[in-house]
Amino acid sequence: MSATLTPGTLRPVKPATATRPVERHWERLAPYGYVAPFYVLFLVFGLFPLLFTFYVALFDWNPIGDRTFVGLENFRQLGEDPRFWNALRNTFSIWIISTVPQLIIALILAQVLNNAFLRLANFFRMAMLLPYITSVAATAIVFAQLFNRDYGLLNWFLELLGFGHVDFMSTAVGSHVLISAMVIWRWFGYNTLLYLASLQAVPRDLYEAAAVDGAGPVKQFFHITLPSLRPVIVFTVIMSTIGGLQIFTEPLLLSNGTLTCGTARQCQTLSLFLFEQGFGSFKFGYGSAIGVALFAIIVIVAFINFLLSSRLGKKG
Amino acid sequence: MNTVPPLSSTASALSRRRVLALSALAGGAALTASACSGGSSASSDPNTFEFWSFTGINQKDSVEEYKQLAPEVTVKLTEVGNAQETAQGLTTALAGGKVPDLVLIQAGDLPKFMKNPGNFVDLTTLGADDIQDDYVEWVMAQATAQSGEIIGIPTDVGGMGIAYRTDLMAAAGLPTNRDEVSALWPTWEDFIATGQRYTEATGMAFIDNAATTVFLQAVSQGEEQYYSADGEVVYDTNPIVRESFDLGLQAIAAGITAKLESFTDGWNAGMAKGAFAAVAAPSWMLGSIRSAAPDTAGKWDIATIPGGSGNWGGSYLAIPARAANPQAAWDYITTMQSPEQQLQHFIDAGSLPTTPVNYDKPELVNHTDPFFSDAPTGKIFTQAVLGLEPFVNGEYNTEISTELLNALNGVEGDGAPADAAWDTATKNIKTAIGA
Repeated sequence: MSATLTPGTLRPVKPATATRPVERHWERLAPYGYVAPFYVLFLVFGLFPLLFTFYVALFDWNPIGDRTFVGLENFRQLGEDPRFWNALRNTFSIWIISTVPQLIIALILAQVLNNAFLRLANFFRMAMLLPYITSVAATAIVFAQLFNRDYGLLNWFLELLGFGHVDFMSTAVGSHVLISAMVIWRWFGYNTLLYLASLQAVPRDLYEAAAVDGAGPVKQFFHITLPSLRPVIVFTVIMSTIGGLQIFTEPLLLSNGTLTCGTARQCQTLSLFLFEQGFGSFKFGYGSAIGVALFAIIVIVAFINFLLSSRLGKKG
Repeated sequence: MNTVPPLSSTASALSRRRVLALSALAGGAALTASACSGGSSASSDPNTFEFWSFTGINQKDSVEEYKQLAPEVTVKLTEVGNAQETAQGLTTALAGGKVPDLVLIQAGDLPKFMKNPGNFVDLTTLGADDIQDDYVEWVMAQATAQSGEIIGIPTDVGGMGIAYRTDLMAAAGLPTNRDEVSALWPTWEDFIATGQRYTEATGMAFIDNAATTVFLQAVSQGEEQYYSADGEVVYDTNPIVRESFDLGLQAIAAGITAKLESFTDGWNAGMAKGAFAAVAAPSWMLGSIRSAAPDTAGKWDIATIPGGSGNWGGSYLAIPARAANPQAAWDYITTMQSPEQQLQHFIDAGSLPTTPVNYDKPELVNHTDPFFSDAPTGKIFTQAVLGLEPFVNGEYNTEISTELLNALNGVEGDGAPADAAWDTATKNIKTAIGA
């Protein structure tokens, strides 16, 4: 037995050494294997449709009829289409009216919920999420009834106070405010909790040290809270940009399911316009061109927001 | 029976149920995905076929009935969504997915499919030639391509009438008897004048809205509508379209409209509260009135529509070209859409037959509806259908009618200037269809 320990008898082990590089090879590849399912699915359901959209956008493409290559003609038409510019305006208007107040409300609420002396803190934190977990359709029904022109609670109240009825969905401003109100209602809780989680990670002694140095709550907020929250603010701003610019369900449901969202397209967003063209009028090519434009707009706006929000709290 | 409104992309139409259906649609391509993955194993069985229908029209009953008539056949019925969603699902399926063997298409969605008849089985190859004379000529013409292929067999039509509240008419000092009321409005001008009398007497609105109750009905009476007989787009030169549009504007200017767009929540509520006394009602809308205003039973009646004839909606059964089992689907069509079965379906569910041979049958003529003061609904609605002539539809029917209705609704509800409405509409149509 001891003979096996002599150097000369190591030779039979050779096959084992031969397999080692193979093992290493597999070990190196294994992690890719573990993450592969996601990327394969992403490739099939994410990247491929995305690239295919770019391809379809170059065609006059009737899904059940002819398709002819038209190059950039769809984009030229898009530039001249007043409906596109109208939808772009509406999208930005709704996005700004919904995102800015939403994130500010969330920031303030997170600050309040983070107060160490708050009673029933968990109850309030959970309650924040209720609008978020309620289905959009249910929320839309409630909002549509609250703001209904003839029989809505809000208008009933206005009448009681001696004012006339307001038809929110009939004007651009009214419909944008109503849609934004619904978006804010759904999403403020989600953002509040993100901010809250981040706030709780800020060391208390920072505040104590600042207080000792004579900094008031406002100064503390701008010099400690805001800089500490910067990463999560960047995240929420980008997510709200992506979500806000693609807004579809809320205007669709609040306008009784009309893809034009009102008689003068007063609240038609880019996504609704895309859907109207692609699936209402069977113009897949034109719809895809709108999709490509929307994609480009979101990338640009998200990038600008990233630049702006990552500078937040750095100065002063 | 309740054909879902054919203008779903236009005139707004949502009950709570449809909001839910729409949210599913908004959730992503779930609809398409499930549509594409429909069972494919059954394709070889000659006694099984797949049937896509839409919600609200209750095809389950017909399928159940078919089971009695042909027990060896299995029908796999799927209600894809509302009519519009079903048409969208069908579009995706035709573009490259698993298609059903039989599909129900609403009249309003049909012109888009007619543009490419190659997507469907030409039913003349299965024997449609022999039965096409059973159906109302203009209804059949809608499903016949210019090159002669027959794409669909009509299951029902939406003959028009005016549903009115007898109690509200009496309160305004107007007649309540349906013959006397019909005599009040041989023309649309008379109809608007009657509305003015009503509004002056009561201070209330006479009709729900001008777009669907006046314009849409008036334009649908034209022998030529948005397209000429040879398929040219003529909405902007056809005097009937312009006259109907102006009638709509007149009704708005006369102040007789309640500014309630059809099928909205406010419209439903207005119906129950008596916010308007009359509404243009196709045969399938009686169910909507019944469910929206159950407390008004017996207070309604039905008069003939100004101009005497009209149609709104209806549906067709078609067989996709790539159907696995077209013969089984065709057998279903010929059995369930035979004149005898259509009459039975009218008696059971109120669905208006497309087969004129039934229009004289005592079962149909003597059918009355207690909710509508025992009005002979079958007689009134079939007469409206018979008065129509064949007319040509085109690819962009929906877009054209959407913009015209939007322009009128804009004037009525959103305060858009009336004198610019026609120009707005035609400009928007030009943008939409490029012609």
